[in-house]
Amino acid sequence: MNDWQRKSPLDWETYVNKMVKVAAIERHEYEGWVLTVDPVSASIVLATFLENEKVSISVVLGHAVQEVEILKEGDDEMKQRLSCIFAPEESKAYSP
Amino acid sequence: ASPRFQALLGGDAAAQGVRAALRQRYLRGLAAARGRPTRFCLRAGVRVDAVFGAADVEAVAFQVDALRTPLGVQAAALLRCTDVLAYSFLLD
Repeated sequence: MNDWQRKSPLDWETYVNKMVKVAAIERHEYEGWVLTVDPVSASIVLATFLENEKVSISVVLGHAVQEVEILKEGDDEMKQRLSCIFAPEESKAYSP
Repeated sequence: ASPRFQALLGGDAAAQGVRAALRQRYLRGLAAARGRPTRFCLRAGVRVDAVFGAADVEAVAFQVDALRTPLGVQAAALLRCTDVLAYSFLLD
């Protein structure tokens, strides 16, 4: 188990809704907004917003994570945007 | 002392609540991935494309469909999680 996998849920939660850079093994790097960290596998789920209004989701597996650096804090608008990505259909807000 | 066993032990309520919230969002993410074309980044720089199927509870393997390999398209396959570094897919 690496240092990232040994963290507690309370540690992982401090990364949620923040823009991070993940350094993974074999010199891979990933950047995006943290949606969640799976407490079972320590996999980190990142979202990046593309120009065509699509969202790209990247999941870096816990065993491959070496270091996670926080680049930016998310404001309330970003938190709201992130919380809608995986929300079940019925809880999505509808505009008139 | 797997993470699931630790969760079973409970521990303090605050950590347990946070663990549940993190896991719930992760599971919703898996549900969102189902049926989507996904690129898996494996060890040694290997990249493969497949349609995401499911993951098991202990994060041992991913089940995928239409795995494109150099030898052809595999209708259904399991990818070992230890071989996968990352995977990504698009939501619209």
